[in-house]
Amino acid sequence: MSTAALRIERLSAPFGSAPGLEDLSFEVQSGERFVLLGASGAGKTTLLRAIAGLAPAAARRMEVAGYDVAALPPERRDVVYLHQTPLLFPHLTVGRNVGFPLRVRKVPAAQAAKRVEEALSAVHLESFADRMPHTLSGGQRHRVALARAIIARPAVLLLDEPFASLDPSLRQEVREAVLTIQREYGPALVLVTHDLDEAGLLGDQVGVLLRRRLAQVDRPAQLFARPTSLEVARFLGMPNEVVGRIAEQGCFESVLGVLRVSRTIAPGPSVALFRPEAVRICERGFMAAPVVALRHRVHQTTAIVEVGGTRLEVALGGARPPAAHSLVQLSIDPDQLMIFPAP
Amino acid sequence: MSSVLRAGRTAGLLCLGLSALLPMLLLAIWSVGDSWFYPALWPSRLTAESWRALLSGEGRLWAAAVTSMLLAAGTGAMACIVALPVGRALARLDGWRRHLGAALTFLPVAAPPVALATGLQFSFLSLGLGGRPIGVLLAHAVPAVAYVSLYFTGVFAGFDARVEEEARSLGASAGQTFWFITLPLLRRPLAEGFALGFLISWSQMPLTLLIGGGAVRTLPIEVFAFVEAGQDRIAATGALVLLVPALVALAAARLAASRTEVAAV
Repeated sequence: MSTAALRIERLSAPFGSAPGLEDLSFEVQSGERFVLLGASGAGKTTLLRAIAGLAPAAARRMEVAGYDVAALPPERRDVVYLHQTPLLFPHLTVGRNVGFPLRVRKVPAAQAAKRVEEALSAVHLESFADRMPHTLSGGQRHRVALARAIIARPAVLLLDEPFASLDPSLRQEVREAVLTIQREYGPALVLVTHDLDEAGLLGDQVGVLLRRRLAQVDRPAQLFARPTSLEVARFLGMPNEVVGRIAEQGCFESVLGVLRVSRTIAPGPSVALFRPEAVRICERGFMAAPVVALRHRVHQTTAIVEVGGTRLEVALGGARPPAAHSLVQLSIDPDQLMIFPAP
Repeated sequence: MSSVLRAGRTAGLLCLGLSALLPMLLLAIWSVGDSWFYPALWPSRLTAESWRALLSGEGRLWAAAVTSMLLAAGTGAMACIVALPVGRALARLDGWRRHLGAALTFLPVAAPPVALATGLQFSFLSLGLGGRPIGVLLAHAVPAVAYVSLYFTGVFAGFDARVEEEARSLGASAGQTFWFITLPLLRRPLAEGFALGFLISWSQMPLTLLIGGGAVRTLPIEVFAFVEAGQDRIAATGALVLLVPALVALAAARLAASRTEVAAV
């Protein structure tokens, strides 16, 4: 069995004097990207800081490359934590910034110079070694911080919302730099974000941190298709939520009518959540509903329809947008319904 | 702005400038003037005797200047060493703790110098520090540490400690972080803190008199003694020398400010 680059078992970390994260367990393999999703204030940063040794935490085990690091100071954990905004040392040139981890490890100067060159080349900043940090653009600063983080080849790289403060074009540039760096140096990467698209795009595994606990850890496709709890499904931003009940025969009864669901769900009051793509506008559907409004997004336009007093967001799937207040026919794919016991 | 207001402002600035420059100009003339008595507008004779004695290292003024210089440098250094962690700790407190800490730190500054000196004298004499340079140095350090601590509290309130965290995470020990990151970033505040401590000691009179007991002769003590003895030329020379560090500090501050402006551009 291979040794995980990072293994966390039953970690708890306080939020100042208030109760904080509780009973968190997960592991990340070398070269793997683990994305932590969670609402603001969920404790994502606290978790990264606890792993880095910058915030107090208690854990049954906190292993990096097979070694328990729970009692070690930050500099001996083989973990690098990067703040949301790149904090370059303002009094050092780019080259000296990148070489800092080697300097404190007393790596011989000639060897260090070669590795600085390689690291800067990995982020396409070869000619920037003599520049001072205040002369760099935002994206360049991020790339320098990444080169500096990776130069000592840590087993784990922790990135705290690295793209949050960037505009879309810069976001792409920094994202590419992160992927390049990881490909070339191969650390386990733990990345915090609250952007679902980014989590899906970057994560090999995604962990959802809700109410101070890891509510679900899964592959992105599995997580987005099959959230295991109502709160995870709600966090993932399912726009449609219909209250009903599961009858004895395994049918979901609601304003949508009676829908046969394939999975076994205990009878009783239930909630169904689904994406706009689960409902289609078609010529012959199971019910007619008036169009209340159209919603235009970057990638698609959806229609808001009203069914039995409940508003649903419906994907148009390339069809021409219907006129407002017109009646449309709807069909629904019961397999795409995520049904959970009502809270 | 009306011309009357503008003229008033110019006159005010002129008065302020003259009130600072005129005494210095008079001191400069006194320091080279011989036999200058009322109602003469100018000394009957000019001599550089007191300056020659000072610069050749002869006489009491030179010895006092050296003593003052050593004490002030020691006080500046000691103030920085003590005030750095105190200021940092104060800046990290919040609410009433910070106010209480700042008030306690400010106490030696708020207390009248004679009261502070009298209080220190009792304890220093019992410790055998009275009449000795080390006693005077420690006494000077009391108000200097207070002032410099308050200064560093302000510095650390604006210091981004995440830079230190970043260094630790990149593999630097606490000592390496302080040496390679914190200290270079605080170079200018440290120089300013040192200058502040230096100036507090340089102009100190009550503490030197009461703790030094007349055995430790600093420049202010000697200038005062020469004034009392009516040796105005030597007193004026000493007084001008006393001005030098303050003028140097002002010039350095101006230079640093202009450099900061350039860097900001």
